[in-house]
Amino acid sequence: MVRRSAEPGRVDAGPGEKALTSGTRRAPRSLIEIGLPVVVMSVIVLVLPTFLPAFVSSQITKMMIYGLFGMSLNIIWGYAGIPSFGHAAFFGAGAYASAIFILKVGITNFWLNLLLAIVATAVIAAILGVPAFRVFGVGAGNTNPIYFLLATIAFGELLSRLAIAVRPVTGGSTGLSGIPEPDLGFGFRITSFRYYYLVFVIVVICLFIMYRVVNSHYGYALRGVHDNERRMQALGYNTWLYKYTAWIIAAVFGGVAGVLFAYYGKTLVPNTFAMITSDIAFLLVIMGSTTTFFGPLLASVVYVGVEYAASLYLRDRWPLIFGAMFVITIMLIPEGLGVWILKLWKKVIRGAAT
Amino acid sequence: MRFGGLTAVKDVSFCLEPGERVALIGPNGAGKTTLFNVLTGQLKPSSGGVFLKGHDITRHKVYARTHLGMARSFQITSLFPNQTVRVNTLIALQGTKKGRYNLLRRLLGDRHMQAAAQALLESADLWELREEVVSSLAYGQQRKLEIVLSLASDPELLLLDEPSCGLTATESAEITSRIRDLGAKITVLMIAHDMDLVFGVAERVMLLHYGEIACEGTCDEIRANPIVRDIYLGTRKSLGAGGVVHRA
Amino acid sequence: MSVALVTGLNGLSYAFILFLLAAGFSLTFGVMGVLNLTHGALFVLGAYIGLQVVDSLGWFWLAVLLAAVALGIIGLLLYFFFLKRLYNKVPEQAVLTIGLGYMFANVILWIWGPRAQNMQKPEILSGALEIGGLSFPIYRIFICGIGLLILALLWWIQDRTRWGAIIRAGMDNKEMTVALGVNYGLVSTLVFVLGVLLAGAGGVLGAPIVGAFPQMGDNLLLLTLIVVVVGGTGYIQGTMLGALVIGLLDTFGKAYVPKAAMFFAYIVFLIILLVRPSGLIGRRIF
Repeated sequence: MVRRSAEPGRVDAGPGEKALTSGTRRAPRSLIEIGLPVVVMSVIVLVLPTFLPAFVSSQITKMMIYGLFGMSLNIIWGYAGIPSFGHAAFFGAGAYASAIFILKVGITNFWLNLLLAIVATAVIAAILGVPAFRVFGVGAGNTNPIYFLLATIAFGELLSRLAIAVRPVTGGSTGLSGIPEPDLGFGFRITSFRYYYLVFVIVVICLFIMYRVVNSHYGYALRGVHDNERRMQALGYNTWLYKYTAWIIAAVFGGVAGVLFAYYGKTLVPNTFAMITSDIAFLLVIMGSTTTFFGPLLASVVYVGVEYAASLYLRDRWPLIFGAMFVITIMLIPEGLGVWILKLWKKVIRGAAT
Repeated sequence: MRFGGLTAVKDVSFCLEPGERVALIGPNGAGKTTLFNVLTGQLKPSSGGVFLKGHDITRHKVYARTHLGMARSFQITSLFPNQTVRVNTLIALQGTKKGRYNLLRRLLGDRHMQAAAQALLESADLWELREEVVSSLAYGQQRKLEIVLSLASDPELLLLDEPSCGLTATESAEITSRIRDLGAKITVLMIAHDMDLVFGVAERVMLLHYGEIACEGTCDEIRANPIVRDIYLGTRKSLGAGGVVHRA
Repeated sequence: MSVALVTGLNGLSYAFILFLLAAGFSLTFGVMGVLNLTHGALFVLGAYIGLQVVDSLGWFWLAVLLAAVALGIIGLLLYFFFLKRLYNKVPEQAVLTIGLGYMFANVILWIWGPRAQNMQKPEILSGALEIGGLSFPIYRIFICGIGLLILALLWWIQDRTRWGAIIRAGMDNKEMTVALGVNYGLVSTLVFVLGVLLAGAGGVLGAPIVGAFPQMGDNLLLLTLIVVVVGGTGYIQGTMLGALVIGLLDTFGKAYVPKAAMFFAYIVFLIILLVRPSGLIGRRIF
């Protein structure tokens, strides 16, 4: 699988891709080939904060959180082929749930909070998944993907409005603020410096689980459903169940990212559910290549970097730059950064060999 | 089977004995694929029922029927184009196995399944192509894989929809002998246009015309029946009073 | 009860504005299958251009015309430089147009500033009609009138003219239509431009009622999508019906149960998806 310091290998981006999410995926390499760069990168990430200023570490934390968010969307978008435009619904669900549990219910333990937020997100995903899959897939007739797209957009917006409406619980349009530092129990205080490491640990665990899932029996079945749902049904698979469960799994990971985000920013606004947040995940997936595992993580690094630079010099023009990233990606690098970097790497290796 | 005002398949009723090889022939538009779709569950019949081994499966979902031993190949090749041949086979194999919901075990590391896939691919001479991406395969090889995937679930009833569609004579001959070698455990119902294939494999032939069974019989009977020729050449538009139905 | 009549007029005029907004999208999406998510932003752009014209030149009608033309040109450019290349690639179109939407919104902000703009109604159309003690704003009546006119025009084109037949044929089977010698490329371009034009005109006409501020595009896009899904794609009557349902529901909702009103549109949307996914009067695709 692709990694930031990718190793060379066969890359088939698929001759003349007809859709954004099709294209051959490289088979996972042996444990060593993946393990080594992962370990190297991990060590680098772990060591960085000690000699970089605090604001850089803060940005890297953000990169990790958004990376997780993007990758959670990639599970359904890239692997299962479900184009969801409302993934922020789950990101926000996780964020708000954890915030509400701390501020309104008084549950201060981080782990308990995380668990409850995961449950809440899963429940919401389970409920929303029912109408969603009514209009998507082989069972739903000769569908036009836009209906599903719209349904998912509507979910995000619905939750956003819910958040605005239910003032006493969600703080209305001003949102929730004053989220305290995460309390891990044992009286262990988490400063923002240490939060970096907490996020790192959680993100790595999540990514590990994700990696196992997409390469499991279930994961391959999911890819099958994406490639040819009708065939899968003929082969004995209950394809609805696969899509539904993938939806919930992706939602849960998105929710975890949301929880991490809540503790990171310490303030939440209803926009966290809105299209704009979904668009960030969407951008991360598209920019990062839907056919690679680590693509969105890579994209997250670029995204947060650009956002940070923009916040320093071109603060007012950020939406313009944001939009431009979409346009540039589609027009110039439609296959995404992951695939593009792999190709580049191959050229470099070949160039060095001659 | 009615579609709005159109009766696509009408009063079709037949029985398949275990181990039989039956071919379903008929001019284009006769309703053969519609019949298949009803049998496999992609369509619900407007009247009548489908029974498998004594069970009424008319209301069963498509995937449920596979678990009961029914399998199907498609006329328009229906594979997983972005995956390798090996992965295609693995996915097909696990379709009826419990492990297909396993969230954590690596599929590619499953020795048992890899061995099963190897056996299946070797028996079809596709093993050398196992790492090729399906979209890059030649059409003939894809058609072979199409049938291989249908066999992966170890079916008792195999429905083949034009297995030799678009193949050269050599490739068709190969398909013919492979189907013949399938063994007595499997019952085969095959839609075909290629008469060499039909006569090389079938014990019983049914001719479908405008959605009704025009005639039925062994290969020799069908070969001799003038109605068959008329229907295919278009000189006979409907059954009328002259229609004869043979029972084998 | 009588107040309901005034609310009714408000709802109706709002519905017609939604219709103008959604009709353009319904055309480009329903007819060409092109997903143009900049639609909301274009509506706002139309409003702003119109505003600029009114500010500089003072003529309301000129504003409508110029806004429509300007948007038509922008639409043409959009089509030629971007969308034409992405023919049939719906996800790519989505990505591209979402990005462009953000860019447009920010450009509007850049040029005209963040404050909401207020559009003055033209003299002849301001004021209200007093009937039975209730006052019915004339501008709203005017909007209903114009809306009906455009609805009639589009409906007539769809059902009675050769253009409409070509478009409907193209929706069903593009290859065949082209094979029959129809210059479908030209038709597509024209339809797209028409769609954008409607959005622009709608923006200007609607501005005195719904106002104009840079971030409007997002919300409007969502409303467009909801109207189109509820009403169904493929028929202009469907879009009108969808606009009526959403417009009236929203207005009456805001009048009687303001807190819950935000949700109505979305709830209707979800119900339709569950119960009748092709929309109220849509081409049966489910």
